[in-house]
Amino acid sequence: MVDVEKIRTACRGCHGGCGVIAHVQNGKVTKVEGDPESPISYGSLCSKGLAITQLAYHPDRILHPMKKGDNGWERITWDEALDTIAVKFQSVVDEFGPEHIVVGQGTGRDYESHLYRFANQLGTPNVLTAGHMCYVSRVASTLVTLGNLPICDYRGGPKCVVMWGCNPQWTNPDEYKGVDFWKVHKKGAKLICIDPRKGFVAKKADLWLQLRPGTDAALAMGFHNVILEEELYDKAFVENYINGWDDFKERVKDYPLDKVEEITWVDKDLIRKAARMYAQTKPACIHWGVPTEQTNNCTDCTRILTGLMAATGNLDAPGGNVLYVNPPTRTVAEFSCHKDLSKEVREKRLGGDRYKLGARVAFITPKVAWESILTGKPYQLKAGLLCGTNPVTTRANAREAYAALEKLEFLVVIDHFMTPTAELADIFLPAGTWLEQNHVADNWKRHGFVLARQKCVEIGEAWQDHKIFQELGKKLGQKWWDTVEDALDYLLEPAGLTWEEFKQKGYLQGEMVYHKYKERGFSTPTGKVELYSTVLEKWGFDPLPKYTELPESPVSRPDLSEKYPYILNAGLRTPTFFHSANRMQPWLREIRPDPIVEIHPDTAKKHGIEEGDWVFIESPRGRCKERAKLNKWIDPRVIVAEHGWWYPEMKGPGYGWDISNINILTDNSHESMDPAIGATNLRACLCNISPA
Amino acid sequence: MAKVSLMFFKKDCMGCHACEIACKQEHGLGVGPRLVRVIENSPDYTPIYCHHCKKAPCLESCPVDAISKDPRGIVLIDDELCIGCKECIEACPFGAMQFDDDSEIAVKCDMCVERLNNNERPACSQACATRCIFWGDTKALSERVISSK
Repeated sequence: MVDVEKIRTACRGCHGGCGVIAHVQNGKVTKVEGDPESPISYGSLCSKGLAITQLAYHPDRILHPMKKGDNGWERITWDEALDTIAVKFQSVVDEFGPEHIVVGQGTGRDYESHLYRFANQLGTPNVLTAGHMCYVSRVASTLVTLGNLPICDYRGGPKCVVMWGCNPQWTNPDEYKGVDFWKVHKKGAKLICIDPRKGFVAKKADLWLQLRPGTDAALAMGFHNVILEEELYDKAFVENYINGWDDFKERVKDYPLDKVEEITWVDKDLIRKAARMYAQTKPACIHWGVPTEQTNNCTDCTRILTGLMAATGNLDAPGGNVLYVNPPTRTVAEFSCHKDLSKEVREKRLGGDRYKLGARVAFITPKVAWESILTGKPYQLKAGLLCGTNPVTTRANAREAYAALEKLEFLVVIDHFMTPTAELADIFLPAGTWLEQNHVADNWKRHGFVLARQKCVEIGEAWQDHKIFQELGKKLGQKWWDTVEDALDYLLEPAGLTWEEFKQKGYLQGEMVYHKYKERGFSTPTGKVELYSTVLEKWGFDPLPKYTELPESPVSRPDLSEKYPYILNAGLRTPTFFHSANRMQPWLREIRPDPIVEIHPDTAKKHGIEEGDWVFIESPRGRCKERAKLNKWIDPRVIVAEHGWWYPEMKGPGYGWDISNINILTDNSHESMDPAIGATNLRACLCNISPA
Repeated sequence: MAKVSLMFFKKDCMGCHACEIACKQEHGLGVGPRLVRVIENSPDYTPIYCHHCKKAPCLESCPVDAISKDPRGIVLIDDELCIGCKECIEACPFGAMQFDDDSEIAVKCDMCVERLNNNERPACSQACATRCIFWGDTKALSERVISSK
């Protein structure tokens, strides 16, 4: 029997971080299991992590670079691929300027530091990420409000948890993987769940607030109203550490509970009860998910929720929402050379003059990229490089995304498989999975850890993304290192460790200090929590947060109510898939063979729809079909659908990208987006259903 | 020898299906047989799994005595003896007995007996993030389940 080498590493099946022990035999990973010593996952591992061997060794995986020729895709060498890209990119830079190249990523494989370093040295301000509506938008909104992202401090032992539009045990575990939440729940912490749909968390909760999708900001204002009216706020904190408390109080008066009930559909007594429970139980934390961001209220909703943490004195307090201290490694910002991008170049960022908060955190919203490609305004993007992203399924108004990428003159895609997006490319570069990566993982997060993700194997000619950016960058004369590991040494230098030493340690944890503001205030212009934002005011936005009605709802568009009588909640997630990934892995697909649309039994009956039927879901932008699952725990006025679907088994062309793609229905008009950051509304629009 | 049991504390199952994949990986199974399976009816999740019954209907139904009980009470199937007649699949009240189309024989949960012998937890139990899968000494387990929240 061949010896099994066990390698300790960190998963990246989602946003990553769970500890893994990979079993390697004859140069192949034969099995993975959870690492009991992981400070994040404590030995557990989810279905996506456990099924990694079916991704890494999938027969359809592409393991060599390719270029699209007259006879379709053909295999080429890395040298040819990188030379081709470098020549093309350089010609665009010389002829038009670097801003005519867009560099983009999805939720990533932990390479944002490298992608940005590449883009910044290339000299383009046009970096297209998921950040406009996912996590980074929360980071940006909290940056201007209090200087950092406040995170639920499970390690500090909260006595009350508000799970606000989040199911960390299933998906969206930015900082946590749900295990820490579960531990405090089992210890008896009170639990409030804000969710339009009754999931596992709602079932376990003391209070479940079933809101109308997308009205989170109004509900949070309702919480503030109760806290002010009943004087449940932390007087010392609001007096000393909040900028504009009096102005904010005035704003809150616009949200009496009767009105909040009308907007959110949540019973006002229940809102009162929940607000009291949150404000009176100490310490209490709010664990927020992406639904708070994926609407036109993105910035304001984040700011209002931050206001709750501040007003109740839970900010940077043990067991509240804290600003974790990261280990002393180089930050993504420093590694990325953000400062190398001149003011002159930054001013050319697409949409930068409009979406100023987005520009502040160095990304563009997809809408402006598609507009540039399709209309040539304000200038024409000539080339693009997209890494680990499938925007034709995951971005709002998918048909526009598809049309734009189809039209783009030169496109490079970095991925594991041929996807509906990769199919539109001119060059395909094969990326390594997380089993094929050496990286200081989680270095972009704000949870106080960095983890050693160790390369377990190399497969085919695939390179880890970091190496791709590095080698392509070198072809363009950029400053990089000889090896990926040399760059990791640079990242780790402030911690006094080399990559080899760090690998042995497994992870680093920052030394937590609470109540840092007492010493140095908050990192904002006033040094306080800016509920009245001097930054947003300077940029010409309302300095106080508010709820703005969704641009396409029964309230704002009664004229559409006959044709589209339901609210589509496109936020249904499944633990077996990460966004558009994983559909080709047999173990995972067996569990969830078809896309699911949840319909209330009463609503289904009206349309003659039964459990398991295929259903057309239609909005003013178009339609797709998914399979009905009846759920009495959603509101009969709401239709809940899964996202990210395409059909790898259908092969090209198109891979069935437009069959069950819920983003064919979502809107990306400027009017539908958050005015400060350009967050697209991926969550709520109007729709109708019919049997397919 | 102390009897060992496997038990899913259903109230804490959150329907993540990690146990299913851990089991498939451990037993080298492809699409088809699911030795543990979680039925979703959100917000309730029902794990279907082998209870290693004291009086095991699968064992009693087997015409060729391919199913046996080891000294710890683990119900095991002998691949060499199984003729693939599916009697046990019909007999199991939980739907835990499965058929593997590749090998054309019945397959079932063996409580990861090899892992137990190495003092490791069953694969499903290790993966579970809510720790709702209990295994171990039958008597202690019953008490633990009764006292849990």
